[in-house]
Formats: sequence, C-alpha cells, structure tokens
Amino acid sequence: MKKILIPVLSFLICFTIIWKWTFGFSAFTIFSYKLQAAGDIPRVFPDIPLINQKGEVFHIKEKHKYVLVNFVYLNCPYVCHKVNNQLEHIYHLFDRFTISSKLEFVTVSFDLQNDGLEKIRKYRNYFGSDIDGWSFALPYQSSQESFNQFLGKIGIWKYTIPGTGIINHSIYLFLVSPDNKVIKVFDPARESDKTIVEQINSCL
Amino acid sequence: MPVKTSDIIFILTILVMSWLISFPMNEWFSETMPRHQILQLPAMLVLGIISGVRFSKHIIIGFAWGIAILIFILSSLIFWMLPHSIDYAVINTPFNRLMHVNMLISGFLLIPVLRNTLSEIKIIFLGMLSAMVIATGFTLLSYNLLLCSSFNIEQQKEAGLQLVIIGLTVFASTIFIFFRGAGRS
Repeated sequence: MKKILIPVLSFLICFTIIWKWTFGFSAFTIFSYKLQAAGDIPRVFPDIPLINQKGEVFHIKEKHKYVLVNFVYLNCPYVCHKVNNQLEHIYHLFDRFTISSKLEFVTVSFDLQNDGLEKIRKYRNYFGSDIDGWSFALPYQSSQESFNQFLGKIGIWKYTIPGTGIINHSIYLFLVSPDNKVIKVFDPARESDKTIVEQINSCL
Repeated sequence: MPVKTSDIIFILTILVMSWLISFPMNEWFSETMPRHQILQLPAMLVLGIISGVRFSKHIIIGFAWGIAILIFILSSLIFWMLPHSIDYAVINTPFNRLMHVNMLISGFLLIPVLRNTLSEIKIIFLGMLSAMVIATGFTLLSYNLLLCSSFNIEQQKEAGLQLVIIGLTVFASTIFIFFRGAGRS
C-alpha cells in the first residue's frame, strides 16, 4: 500500500500546485492568468476618469452604450499598431447607425509618461476623419499606481522591460455593456475580425 | 567518517557557483529568455547533479520514493517552463531563487534515484523529459504571439530552438541508455 501511496501523494501535490497556478490548466501565460484572476464575466468594469482627444473628461459607465475598450501605448514598436489596424477594420464592419447609437470604441493609452493629448490626437488622425464614435483617451488625473490598480481589476497585465521603454502588455478587447459590465473579452491575436463583429452583434 | 579536504573544497565550489548564478549574475541571466531558460535553469540543475554524483553514493532511495521524486522533478521542470512562471521569476527575484533551490535539489536527488531504479524507469523518465523539452521548444518556436511579457518574440524563438536541440540531445541519450541496457541484459 505504501508503495503506491507515496508516488500517488507526490503526484497529487504536484498536480494541485500546477492546477492552481494555471487556473485549472486554462491560463499558462501571465496575460491569461491576470485576465482569469480579474474574475468571471459578466463583471463590473472599474471606474476611472478618462480624457479624450478633444480634451473632454468622461467615464465609460456614463456612456450608457456598449463600449469596446482596448489599451495601447503610442511608442509601441509593433503590436499596438497592428491591434489598432485590426480595430479599424472591425470599426468599418459596423454600419453608421450601430456605431453612433449603440456602440462606441475607446482606445486608452497606458503610457502616462510619454503619451499626451496632442500625441493621441495626431495618432487618431492616422485612422482618417470618418471615425466618429472611436475615442482615443488617456487616464485623467490618475497616478501610475491607481492606473495600475485599475488595469489589474480589468485583467490587463503590463510590464515595462527595464532600460528599453518597451511595455509588454495584454492586447485584449473588452466589450462593456450599457450597465457598465464586461460582458465579452476578445483576443484579437486569436480571433478573426469577423468572429469579433459577430459576437458583438449578438450582444447589441 | 572524517571529512576530506577535497569534499570541503567541492562543497565550497558548488556554493560559490550557486551564489554567483543566483545573486551577482541574476540580473544578467534575467535579461534575455535564452539566458534565463537555457543557461540559468539548467546551470542550477547541473550543479545539483554534480553534487549528487559526488555525495549520493551511499544514499539508498526505495522504489516508491524514487518514483515520487521523479514525479516531483518532472513537475518542477514543467512548472518552471510555464510562461507564467518564467515571467514571474524574472519580475520577482525571491521567486526566481525558489527556482534555483528547486533545481539544485532536483538535480541532487536525480542521481541516487536513477542509480537505484530500473532501467525501464530511467528510459521512461528520460523519454518523457525529452518529449516535454522538445514540445516546449516547438511551442516557443512556432508561436508568433508573445508568451512571456518579460522578453520579446525573437528571444522566445531563440529559446525555443535551443530547447529543441537540448530535447533531441536528451532523446539521443535515452536511446543510448536503452541500447546499453538491452546489451547488458
């Protein structure tokens, strides 16, 4: 009996540790772990004041519409621009009526040190002038610490590689409902634009 | 039993090398993924193995405990190869040192276990180890998504390629052990 018990016990202990560490073998990266650790959806989207490219302060919860939120930083060498290009494609897959009346896009920068209003305004212009309903925003009067807490509550992981200024981060898109709840999370690296649009449409 | 001077020198050498890897050179090892995964982690394991070769001659581990220890070693390697663990180890130094201690102990225990176990168990263990390392290598090599936030895609692919090479080397050793064992029997 002892011959079986010891290896079985060893296996169970090791299995449990890895199980807990990966949220039941579902989160193997720090990005997915943070997302899972933020809780199951639907969950409340944490509140933070944001300021858009026009200098207007707003809160996501006060939109009372569906809002697709993503996070970028403008000095990003590659991924953020790729995600925003994908988001631009997704934006144009919706008709004008949907965007203005039911759905908005909000792209938030998390580089509090380098991204300012002028910079996000210029950046937004790269996507053309016909993108009403897509705001580019910055946290308003928010310290780095409180903004990091906000990101943690959403389920976004970000890490600045020392000495490089490169911020590696989660690229998830969060669909927030009019009652300020995260109802869907999309991974643009794994899901096609069409799938994302279909899933958003099913919620509207 | 009198303690030999050579043993003391050996222990001191292992301790100094572990300290160098874990403390002064830790930052350098954490700078890139290949350094962290292909140099630092195996270095601690190898230091443990070398210690095991020298000091575990008189340690007899029973079959059940041997299997339990092999499960512990394999699980440890799986755990430290998870992207989540890699990231956390780079960001959190005490967690990284936990990896060093874990690898040192794993390496030390591996020798008396393999010495006293059946050759079939050795082959299964080495086969699983090489399969795991090759699979991890191919995952890192083929994924175009960043899996560890502390590094970049180029480093991820480089680490993947090196893991595949290590895995194939372990696999070749497994085959060698298998045929050597078959020849003896």
